[in-house]
Amino acid sequence: MFAEKVIELLKEAERNPDTIDPFNDEKIRQILEEMHLLFKMNMNDANATNENKSLWTTVQVRHSALERNKRCLLAYLYDRMKKIKTLRWEFGSVLPPDVRELLSDEEYQWFSKYSTNLASYMRSLGQDIGYSGIDLTENLKPPKSLYIEVLCMADHGKLELEDGDVITLKRNSRHFLPTAECQTLIRQGVLKQIV
Amino acid sequence: MDPYEIEFLGENRIISVIPNFSYDKIYLICGEFGPFRAGLPLNVPLWLAIMLKQKQKCRIVPPDWMDLDVLENIKEEEKRSRFFTKMPNEHYMVEAKLILGVAAEDVPNSSEIKTIIKDIWDIRMSKLRTSMDALMKSGGSYGRLDHLTLMEINSVKPLLPSAMDDLHRIRTTSKRPTTASLNTSTFSQSGSSQNI
Amino acid sequence: MDPIDDIELSEEEEEITAETVLKTLQSAWQNERLAPEILPHHNDMVECMLGQIQHMERNINKLPKTDLRASIHKMELSRIKFIICNYLRTRLNKIEKYCIHIINEERQRMESGTNYLTPAEFKYAQEYLLNMESHLKNVVLDKMPGNMQTLELNKMAIYPNLQTHVFLKANDTVSCVVLEDLVGDQDEEIDLEEGSQHILQYKPVADLVKTGKVQLV
Repeated sequence: MFAEKVIELLKEAERNPDTIDPFNDEKIRQILEEMHLLFKMNMNDANATNENKSLWTTVQVRHSALERNKRCLLAYLYDRMKKIKTLRWEFGSVLPPDVRELLSDEEYQWFSKYSTNLASYMRSLGQDIGYSGIDLTENLKPPKSLYIEVLCMADHGKLELEDGDVITLKRNSRHFLPTAECQTLIRQGVLKQIV
Repeated sequence: MDPYEIEFLGENRIISVIPNFSYDKIYLICGEFGPFRAGLPLNVPLWLAIMLKQKQKCRIVPPDWMDLDVLENIKEEEKRSRFFTKMPNEHYMVEAKLILGVAAEDVPNSSEIKTIIKDIWDIRMSKLRTSMDALMKSGGSYGRLDHLTLMEINSVKPLLPSAMDDLHRIRTTSKRPTTASLNTSTFSQSGSSQNI
Repeated sequence: MDPIDDIELSEEEEEITAETVLKTLQSAWQNERLAPEILPHHNDMVECMLGQIQHMERNINKLPKTDLRASIHKMELSRIKFIICNYLRTRLNKIEKYCIHIINEERQRMESGTNYLTPAEFKYAQEYLLNMESHLKNVVLDKMPGNMQTLELNKMAIYPNLQTHVFLKANDTVSCVVLEDLVGDQDEEIDLEEGSQHILQYKPVADLVKTGKVQLV
């Protein structure tokens, strides 16, 4: 009754700080319900506080519970937004279906908006000097060598390199590729660097 | 910053190589280098030296300080002094690691040199731990750290700064009059100030 | 102004080499990585470097693929791209994290023409905040009881911790940096000699970082 559910929700989310859990629709519905109930009870009692001063404390405690619920729900959503952001940097603008499933429809919408905003920012970089933008999701690590050896972890199909060469990425095949051009595939787990 | 980034910065240092090929001057954004004449030493950035070495296009000339006698002196000096002594350059560790990593055969006595650099590093790190301890005991709000190299400074991050931050926080909160723990503000949404 | 001065000035400007720009950009990147707050942008440096990269890339394409010089140039370009990307990404991270605070401050700075963000960054920040607000409203706030529906941005705002301790190296000699002493109420003054290194709170040196008198390390 007094914000216990929202704490359960936060604890659940905290259990896996590095991964994102499915959006907990049901619990959020219950918390909102609790808030409406608290609000209704307060409305009823608020009118009576003039005669009965002892109700004042009750009203205040309920109000605090309402504030707490609000604050924690926002924290839950905010924390998920932070995680959803990192998905954009890891996977790019298209999410794998199994990851997509973990987001609510509204969250997916937010992801798309975030992604669009980021993309238009990146496109704008250097526009004044006729540059066509920079992909900031590349070049994450200081460059060590121009080429690296990679092992292909999944059947990915054809990959066209900047120099025009086309290679086929088949599971368990090994390749010697330009470092800059395989970072995204490494992050997505398609390729693995052989050290 | 992570150690890779410190290494990245260190790779800008200029060192000398002896190429086994000849080329005209090369105009890089970070400066002009060359001309390359087979057998004649020239200066290039460390990253380029490493790259050429990996392609077996050059021999690396060990920097002057990468010498047993010089290092032996530095080690003695470091042991004797209460303070940090000035290192040959602010990226000695990165230089040592990279050069000895790819071009050990170009450095006379490379394994002894490796050991002695490691010794110097250890002496300095233990000094650093002692001075961190002293700094915290003296109140921990300010310290002077001359002659510490980037890699060394980085090795005490985030421990030292965050310990100093914590100490600062404890001081400021204990200085403020303590608010009663059970007033309404405790319940309200008050997470507005310093939220790190 | 004396016309001769003018000419000399522009000649001096021309002398700023790509090498200098790269060095400046690198120290801007280092400062941005290590400062708790967002710093004034260096868009001119970024654009200048992008121009250099573009120019260089065209030249590389003229060289045979296996040419040693081509790979040397490519390596250098990927080093510079790393700095640029990391620099801009670091700024975006701060913009997102301290969004509400940065937008408020930036509005004031824009009035006085001392903006820290590039127009593109400011647009990004506003859009980011708008998206966040509408998401929070759609998902929970609008479904709450009437008096709970407002989004109190000032309560949501996260502020950079300017009291945090940082390492720095003095590029120039700076005298009389005042360190606040909270316990003894006795402020301490220190001098930063050129080349000396210190650990201290960020706040008293924030302006020195922005003017390039000290370098965060």
